[in-house]
Amino acid sequence: MGERDSANEIDEAAFRWVALLDREGDDPKLLSDLQDWLNQDPRREGAYLRAQALWLKLDRAANASEQDAPAPALSRRRMLVGGAGAALAAAVGAGAWVLSGGRNFDTEIGEIRHVPLPDGSVADLNTQSSLRVTMAKSIRRVRLAEGEAWFHVESDPSRPFVVESGLVRVRAVGTAFSVRRFDHGAEVLVSEGVVEAWVSGSEAAAVRLAAGEKAMVQERAPILSETAAPAEIDRKLAWRVGKIDLAGETLSEAVAEFNRYNQREMVVKQQALLSKRFYGVFRTDDPEGFAKSVHSSINVPVEITRDSIVIGR
Amino acid sequence: MVGSADRARRVAWVAKEVMPHEPAVRRWLARSRVPFDQIDDFIQEAYCKLSALTSVEHIQRPDAYFFQTVRSLVTEKIRKARIVSIETFTEIESLPVLSDDPSPERIVAARRELAEVLRLIGELPARCRQVVRLRKIEGLSQKEISLRLGITETMVENDVVKGMRLISGALKKSGTVDVVRRTLRIYGRARLRKRD
Repeated sequence: MGERDSANEIDEAAFRWVALLDREGDDPKLLSDLQDWLNQDPRREGAYLRAQALWLKLDRAANASEQDAPAPALSRRRMLVGGAGAALAAAVGAGAWVLSGGRNFDTEIGEIRHVPLPDGSVADLNTQSSLRVTMAKSIRRVRLAEGEAWFHVESDPSRPFVVESGLVRVRAVGTAFSVRRFDHGAEVLVSEGVVEAWVSGSEAAAVRLAAGEKAMVQERAPILSETAAPAEIDRKLAWRVGKIDLAGETLSEAVAEFNRYNQREMVVKQQALLSKRFYGVFRTDDPEGFAKSVHSSINVPVEITRDSIVIGR
Repeated sequence: MVGSADRARRVAWVAKEVMPHEPAVRRWLARSRVPFDQIDDFIQEAYCKLSALTSVEHIQRPDAYFFQTVRSLVTEKIRKARIVSIETFTEIESLPVLSDDPSPERIVAARRELAEVLRLIGELPARCRQVVRLRKIEGLSQKEISLRLGITETMVENDVVKGMRLISGALKKSGTVDVVRRTLRIYGRARLRKRD
């Protein structure tokens, strides 16, 4: 048998790779070096997978400690931070927030939810969204696990307000903005003040976005920011009052938008119709009203049943 | 596949569905007289198999799958080895009985592991614990942590590695500590021989 690295040596190297990638982000050079290392011994592949899973597990443990607070070591230290008196006062003041360390908020399809946060900020959750809010001593942290939310942030320079959406991070001090999660990134719209957005691990490449600006922040592409058309941000946030505000969106975009809010699926049968543009304000829960106005404005058949709405023939 | 979304899903699946059963697999290997240094090898090779699967959606019982994967690695090795203890072979052939129900055992394993990880974080050396806490609970980046604590980024990275090493080591032990004595006693007798 030739010389083999011991299992411990391999584990150690795998931890090093995880820590390094956590520090540097997904640098292509680093990833290719990692691949070279992995290719040399099948056990390395296994050790690396286990190391990544272990690293992820620490997240789960952190979340569990916020949820159940069963961990004597952690909660004891949390109590010591401000002294028992402060902790007691806080516990009386904010109740479950302090005791649990965080809370989840979810919405179903079509549901829109207004959530006042204990620091005076507000979160509005759009359809099919999931949010976890943690108010720690030095950071107000919000994890957008799914969907879209708009935030009005109460100013507190000592406690930044950070939204995490996958690898995307958006930080605000006192401002209003929304974040919508996509598979490989997030869209950020700023309606007041200034925010900074970046991808975890490459904070140096953060972009500043001011009121009226929007950006698509992708996990592995440069951040594209631009000034939104006048009123575009307000229009895009019309969901907060239960509306879809179309100003020249294509039928394809409009249908996708209605389908976000409704179980009943809207389908367009004729390819040629998809690029037609539409204007008007509709209720998010009224795809039928939209379909009827499509019918009357471009004179195409619309078939409305309990389960679906079919536009075109 | 290293950086892809599929990979991220695989890692999450392993963390949630497989790793909580690692202590049980280690206990079973130790009971079967597999020497400690080889247990680590088998475990790593098993994770490697899981990493190479194109899909894990068909796996209904990740715990049973993990046991089977390790078992086939061990039996393969036994067949290649010159000298084999019959005892080892029969023990390794008898897998722990796993019920088909959405078993409370599996849920318990996950909860137990989570509680264990939490306890272990609490027991890390002070700065290391602080780094892990800031990174994982407060969500600061390594760079932000280095600024906050006034230490270099390399020190932060080293603490991350150290935290993982200590927690990983303790989790491994939690699987085998109760059979250490018995295994040490029979260690020499039933040891698997490597091929030259």
